[in-house]
Amino acid sequence: MLELADVHTYYGNIRALRGLTLSVQRGEIVTLIGANGAGKTTTLRTILGTVRPRSGTVSFNGQRLDTLATDRIVRLGIAQSPEGRRIFPRMTVLENLELGAFARADHDGIASDLERAFTLFPRLRERIAQKGGTLSGGEQQMLAIGRALMARPGLLLLDEPSMNLSPILVETIFRIIQDINGQGTTILLVEQNARMALRVAHRGYVIQTGRIVLQDSAAELLRSDIVRKTYLGEK
Amino acid sequence: MTLSARRAVNWTALVAVLILYPFVDRAIGLHAVHAVSDGMIYVLLALGLNIVVGYAGLLDLGYAAFFAIGAYAMGLLNSPVLGSPLYGHAWSFWLCIWIAAAVSALLGLVIGAPTLRVRGDYLAIITLGFGEIIPVAIRNLGDITIDIGGWRPVVRLNLTGGENGVNPVGRPYLPGVPFETDPIPWYFLILVIGAASVWAMYRLQDSRLGRAWMAIREDETAADCTGVNPITTKLLAFALGASFSGFAGSVYAAKLQAITPGAFEFQVSIMLLCMVVLGGAGSLGGVVLGAMLITVFDRVLLTQMTTLVRLVGRTLGVPALVSIDLTLWRWFFFGLGLALVMLLRPQGLLGRRVRPVADADVDEPATAEPAPPPRVEAIPGWLRERVVAGAPARDGAPILEVRGITKKFGGVIALNGIDLVVPRGAIIGLIGPNGAGKTTFFNVVTGLSAPDEGHITFEGRSLVGLRPNAIVARGIARTFQSIRLFPYMTVLENVLVGENCRLTSSVAGAVLRPASVVAEEARARERARSLLAFVGLVDKGDDLARNLPYGDQRRLEIARALATEPRLLLLDEPTAGMNPNETETLTRLIGLLRRELALSILLIEHDMQVVMGISDRITVLDYGTRIAEGTPAEIQRHPRVIEAYLGTGYEQELAARGTTQ
Repeated sequence: MLELADVHTYYGNIRALRGLTLSVQRGEIVTLIGANGAGKTTTLRTILGTVRPRSGTVSFNGQRLDTLATDRIVRLGIAQSPEGRRIFPRMTVLENLELGAFARADHDGIASDLERAFTLFPRLRERIAQKGGTLSGGEQQMLAIGRALMARPGLLLLDEPSMNLSPILVETIFRIIQDINGQGTTILLVEQNARMALRVAHRGYVIQTGRIVLQDSAAELLRSDIVRKTYLGEK
Repeated sequence: MTLSARRAVNWTALVAVLILYPFVDRAIGLHAVHAVSDGMIYVLLALGLNIVVGYAGLLDLGYAAFFAIGAYAMGLLNSPVLGSPLYGHAWSFWLCIWIAAAVSALLGLVIGAPTLRVRGDYLAIITLGFGEIIPVAIRNLGDITIDIGGWRPVVRLNLTGGENGVNPVGRPYLPGVPFETDPIPWYFLILVIGAASVWAMYRLQDSRLGRAWMAIREDETAADCTGVNPITTKLLAFALGASFSGFAGSVYAAKLQAITPGAFEFQVSIMLLCMVVLGGAGSLGGVVLGAMLITVFDRVLLTQMTTLVRLVGRTLGVPALVSIDLTLWRWFFFGLGLALVMLLRPQGLLGRRVRPVADADVDEPATAEPAPPPRVEAIPGWLRERVVAGAPARDGAPILEVRGITKKFGGVIALNGIDLVVPRGAIIGLIGPNGAGKTTFFNVVTGLSAPDEGHITFEGRSLVGLRPNAIVARGIARTFQSIRLFPYMTVLENVLVGENCRLTSSVAGAVLRPASVVAEEARARERARSLLAFVGLVDKGDDLARNLPYGDQRRLEIARALATEPRLLLLDEPTAGMNPNETETLTRLIGLLRRELALSILLIEHDMQVVMGISDRITVLDYGTRIAEGTPAEIQRHPRVIEAYLGTGYEQELAARGTTQ
């Protein structure tokens, strides 16, 4: 479904991705784990076209993405829940969610997805009329994920969904990830919480300084020494 | 040739050109000395505006008002004919320029004070209004009659010369120097003032004050919470910026010999802003270049080009070209030039680079290296001394005592009668579901939002009502959940801003640099570097903060907080977004700070391994209410905490990760 082949992405003259190759099959949850600065977020940005690769190809269902504008890429059915607080701070929770469905025209579907978002995150329903910027950090994170789901994407890119969330919500969020995957959404998941990510994912890639250094089924990665030492913090 | 030798040669060449220029101009009959002198006056104005816009980041659309005030201060005090109360007592030019600068600075304060709370668009509109008011006031103060029920204390007083302005304005007097007839003395007079201003600005921008301005521009809240007083810092920007235009206006008035209110209209403010933006806001060389380019283009090039085009027109017999007057197109050319620069080089001609500088060995970015583990020996000795010395003698009493804090936002009760005590040297965890009010609690303690009820006592003294920067000065520092560095300042500068509240140099000290200030600055840099070494960022001091990878930014924020010499540190989710190794390094760093510096720490964190591992006691909030307080062991078993916050998975999580430790 998604293919990155030998992708090189630069910031100025700093090489962020150096020949990254990965693929995501339809229906999968694939996780990308790695240290800060390894290139995880850059990978997502390259897929969405907010930075351009200097060489290599990105394709989605056979169509090249690396020449398309970001809004076109989103219309092809890719949505991202951005890391941090990229919500619209001066719009209400409801408006933020509705904007997630901006590229859709099926009003009934939008209404039911809105309902789904509120069922997934009851806290958002409590805050429905509040401005996004007045939410707490964790609530903004819920809103960002909710907004991405509103696009009903074929492929969902999640950048650190568990960040800033309480332990109970971290559990919830990974359950939600499995749920939406079960409903047919393919997911590329970037996480620092490698243990949880590998528990829900089918396959995983380990990225180091802009390259994939390890790839395997999630179960195998959980057993691998490198992953356990470096990314799971086991002794 | 070495770099310093090359630099010396360049400087000598520049000085020689500046000194020789008017004589060369005269010899070849260029007649541009007047224009160049005016250009230098605009340089002066642009330098002042650059303080406000470029350094402090406050958009001022009415800066020409200060230019007018400087010019009229000179005109009113120095004119031999004006019908003002000062008639007949024309004061010396040399005295008047200082008075003009002082009056402008004062008005800068007057204008600045009510605008302190506004930024961006709102501030711009207010300054726009001020820029309009001043010329109108000047026009209407040319004929004042006060009539109170027939009693007329003032009849037809001409204070400002009205629409006709002030004419003549007295010239400077120096024995043997022909200011009356010759443009060259003017050139040198303005050159000296301009060079002194550039020199003063050069020193200011690299001082405690310059860094405070930039910090305010980058993130006012973060600057406030790092000990920079935004009120005095902004007022100083307005006052100093205005004083530059006071000098410029007074020299302009005396040189032109006549001033009219029409010379200080809105376009002048806009042109000055164009100069700053064209050259590069915040860049000293850029501002000088921008001001000179625009004036010389306007005053010299356009007329020369007009002559040239007409000549071509006559030779080719094209009547349209013969009658052309390019000076009528000046705004067209300004607009075009500015649009091109903004499209091609948005940071201005000489603006600060925002991308990493070209470097041969970027091949292996250090970003992927794990952070070095913190070492006891690396704790800067000065920090140990200062933090320990700063603590009051009486021990045993809690360092922070919060009683019954309530905070409401509209109808939402964010905090409801919260009690929390931090004993000296303790690590207290603050946990709770998202939206429970943890960050609001931090904001209340650090003075960012005022509590509706309750008491906060730090080392026996109340904190309620203090500004954030004053609370930092008392000895409380914090970090932010979503990292808030000063992105367009270097890593070293970020830490230096942290030291700001412990430094004492004044404006005069920053410019004149007496030995005490030089020593203080050197010590500050050394301390900043030692802090960077401690958190493992020693070789990144010159990078822009925004170019650091995430984990490094987290550690820089802690270094900046430590630079304020705190005795209580508030950390808001310090390990968010970190992998287990980075988390462990940071956890050890926090433990080290407590053990070695007796630092008290209040910690918001969602990583249970961290919180349960290093906290002495934990307070749990939910919906603004304290639902539990106790030791980590008690909290882990607390049913309400498990229900609202921990869930049931955390036990497995802890078991999976922590058993071998």
